[in-house]
Amino acid sequence: MKKIIGTIALTLLAAGGPALAQSYPEKSVTLVVPYGPGGASDLAGRALAETAQPILGQPVTVMNKPGAGGMNGARFVSDADADGYTLLLARVGMALSPAVTPESAVPWDAYTFVSALEATPMILAVRGDAPYENVDDLINAVKDSNGAMTYAASGATAIDGFTTQALLADNDLDPLTAATLVPYKGGGALATALLGGHVDFVAMAAASLMPHIESGDMKALMVFAPERVDSLPDVATADELGYEKAGQITGWSALYAPKDMPEDVVAKWQDILGQVATDEKWLELAARRGSISTIGSVEMPDYAKSQYELFNGLAKDFGYLPQ
Amino acid sequence: MLNEILVALAAVATLQNFLIMTAGIWGGVIVGAIPGMTGTMAVTLALPFTFYMAPVPSILLLVALYKGSTYGGSVSAILIKTPGTASAACTALDGYPLAQQGKGGKALNMALYSSVIGDFLSNISLIFFAAPLALLALHIGPPEFFMLMLFALTTVAGVSGNSLLLGMVSAALGLLLATVGEDLYGSFRFAFVPDMQAGLSIAPVLIGLFALPELIKLVVMRAAKTDEAAPLGAQHVTRDEFMGSLRSILKGSVIGSILGAIPGIGPSSAAFFSYGEAQRSSKNSANFGKGELEGIAASESANNGACGATMIPLLALGVPGDVITGVMLGAFMIQGLTPGPLLFQTNMHEIYMLFIGMLVSSVLLFFAGKVTMRMFTKVALIPQTLLTPLVLLLCIFGIYSIASSTFDVAVLLVMGLVGFGMFLLNIPAAPFLIAFILGPMIEENLRRALAISRGDPAVLLSSPITWVFAVLIIFVLGLTVRREFLKSKERRVQQ
Amino acid sequence: MTMPVLRGLLVVAFFALFAFYLVPVFVPRPAFIPGFAPPPDMWPKTVSLIGIVLGLLALILAIRGGAPAEEAVETDGSSVKRMTLRFAGLVFAFGLFLVALPYVGFLIATILLTLCMVLMTGERNYRIWIVLLSVGGPISLLLFFNSALGTQFPKGELIKILGF
Repeated sequence: MKKIIGTIALTLLAAGGPALAQSYPEKSVTLVVPYGPGGASDLAGRALAETAQPILGQPVTVMNKPGAGGMNGARFVSDADADGYTLLLARVGMALSPAVTPESAVPWDAYTFVSALEATPMILAVRGDAPYENVDDLINAVKDSNGAMTYAASGATAIDGFTTQALLADNDLDPLTAATLVPYKGGGALATALLGGHVDFVAMAAASLMPHIESGDMKALMVFAPERVDSLPDVATADELGYEKAGQITGWSALYAPKDMPEDVVAKWQDILGQVATDEKWLELAARRGSISTIGSVEMPDYAKSQYELFNGLAKDFGYLPQ
Repeated sequence: MLNEILVALAAVATLQNFLIMTAGIWGGVIVGAIPGMTGTMAVTLALPFTFYMAPVPSILLLVALYKGSTYGGSVSAILIKTPGTASAACTALDGYPLAQQGKGGKALNMALYSSVIGDFLSNISLIFFAAPLALLALHIGPPEFFMLMLFALTTVAGVSGNSLLLGMVSAALGLLLATVGEDLYGSFRFAFVPDMQAGLSIAPVLIGLFALPELIKLVVMRAAKTDEAAPLGAQHVTRDEFMGSLRSILKGSVIGSILGAIPGIGPSSAAFFSYGEAQRSSKNSANFGKGELEGIAASESANNGACGATMIPLLALGVPGDVITGVMLGAFMIQGLTPGPLLFQTNMHEIYMLFIGMLVSSVLLFFAGKVTMRMFTKVALIPQTLLTPLVLLLCIFGIYSIASSTFDVAVLLVMGLVGFGMFLLNIPAAPFLIAFILGPMIEENLRRALAISRGDPAVLLSSPITWVFAVLIIFVLGLTVRREFLKSKERRVQQ
Repeated sequence: MTMPVLRGLLVVAFFALFAFYLVPVFVPRPAFIPGFAPPPDMWPKTVSLIGIVLGLLALILAIRGGAPAEEAVETDGSSVKRMTLRFAGLVFAFGLFLVALPYVGFLIATILLTLCMVLMTGERNYRIWIVLLSVGGPISLLLFFNSALGTQFPKGELIKILGF
């Protein structure tokens, strides 16, 4: 009985002292996913948790903390103790939100940047029976419609809104009025809106669109990614088509931690991710989500900074923020 | 085709699959029946296990948990007025009064029968009508969605109790509180503290509004009910009672199957819709809200009816309708199966296995429900003075662990005080909750429709579906106004 | 003032607070919404105006008579003052729980709240059960959620300072 009480007391009261790498990890690690369950970020988080767990030697618990464009979960992590037991599955939103709504978002650099994880391409798509065969057709139709063409996005300041707005801006159109934004919540709802013909086009994360492109219900016109997607070898990237702003936009995931995490814990995680990067299960799960593992190939603090500056510049160009 | 079905039957009929489904259903019922724990929790908890399972059993496990927890929510709704899920809110309206009259066993049995029938019919519609229902669902654009949800809101008239006016006040409160948080376009409304940017979650609002006032009443008024509940054994639903509710059960199942197939509607709205419909058309309509078995039948058949049907857009279109099917979509993709039209061409074998498994799980739901019911009716033996604090304790832990959020716990307690205040002022709580859940769908689709039409309100009446619902809304409003007018005339004569 | 009149006034005041103060101040209209699309304050404003109208109707009915009969509230026969005190005590307990939670930790806060609630219902029998519920309940729930879901509960600043 004494032993049981002792164990209980230990579990309940043992407040984590300064985390030392020798003893880290002593208990399970919480990985916060700042979006709802079932989405692309949730799948990435759960895949990471599954692959990292055996290497870490402690359970990795995924916790969904959706809301406020990812800022709810981001704020939770940036306010947490920097002891290595609370980590964040960061997405492009962690750089985008502070760039567009600086007054209410968590600053882009309020974290310890552990590592990049993966690049997730975005796709510009129209319905399978639409009369547009390439981006030029679509842009001409947008010009002729005088603002009446519609596209679905998670909001004007969300990444899937910025894809379209950047494309419009690259074509010397007003990103706000040249086409009408119809706001929806979540990748599934965006895809359904296009599938049901309630909007004319979308430019969003590939994962929700791929099944419909494969079945022929949708056509992919362009890819927002550094290089072409394996499963769509004939679809050009925005960069290849010469779009300057749209060419820099893509989706990504990274692993963040609260600011000033001890260096040995960061090193421990970078070592773990080094092993995850070559793990077959991780690579297979990434391929199924339609994303490319970027562990070790992208330098995280610099990349986050460049993304923040890109979106901040775009927000000023588009007139969302004062110059 | 028959051959393929037989092959699939042989593949799915293993002891292992049977055990997985039994565990899923039973686990789901128990999780759903414990206040403060939700089906979403159960499904996300089980997701990592499915990484190591074959595709079909892993989906069957998740579906079983979903169905089980949707039924389980009715157990706590009836016994302790704490709906385990929002979709059981209308069940509490009639179930709890029945439990107080010592007829809890009857209410639980009726809830189980209607859930199983709703579930079974929903599976049938998934198997035979998936393609046409999915096509119909795609035609539901923002204007149609708006009209449909506006019609569902007329249920408020049925749950307002004595005074329609106070019911509408309650609904307006719910509509207003639902606007807290992130706006559709990405700005924030009423974000007094950063935590409010994410809005108020349904779980703490639901439990705070329904369960907590019971505790506060006990503390403030101390009018504890001491009469013992009658034993469960003598409380079978009689043949007459069942036949009297059969129409509502069948209607509820159809409503659930159709509404469930439309992505984004989900079991709660289907249950409200069905309850309102049953209340309008039943000959016992005056008894609704005071302990009417037919009300339980309508609500429970529709919420379980929607469960199976939410698989329709998931399987046929690859589109998840709610959080739980969102998790299932993730499970499919991790398994290397991509839901959508191609699934029916490339993976027919798995589809047949899934369908057979789902039909079997409807039957399992019946037995799991019977067993769990017996376990939980013991709570009637716990004195109120211990039970209500226990419910509070369970809810605090359950709600905290959904998102590790102390703010949600604060919302729970504050909503408890709000619910008590509404009780003192005689403002009914059910319209608040219905409006709180339907409100965002009504507002968002109205604004989407107006964005598409560039501000032209004529878009709201632009298709046959919208005309049908507009006529229905006018019809119901007319009926309600007439009834209220007659009632008030009667009162004047009496005075 | 009768309860229905007070209720009407409260409803009107609440919705008026939203319509004329909270909505204009706390619902920003961002630059990125096109002119023809309804802005974020359209819906809350409409709902609060409807609320005001409903409240006024309730007020008129209350003054004019003809409203449905009010249901009586069941009590143990205590005076209104005594019940008000009990309610104030409950609100105080809830408030203290939320304020103290970050300092004493989740476990101790829930133990105290549960114990407090049971005692406030007037229950003095079943002593063993009361202790089991208020101490054993939180401990077993904490262990369950911690092991099954991996939830990390706040440990409490004071507890940390004391060096546990």
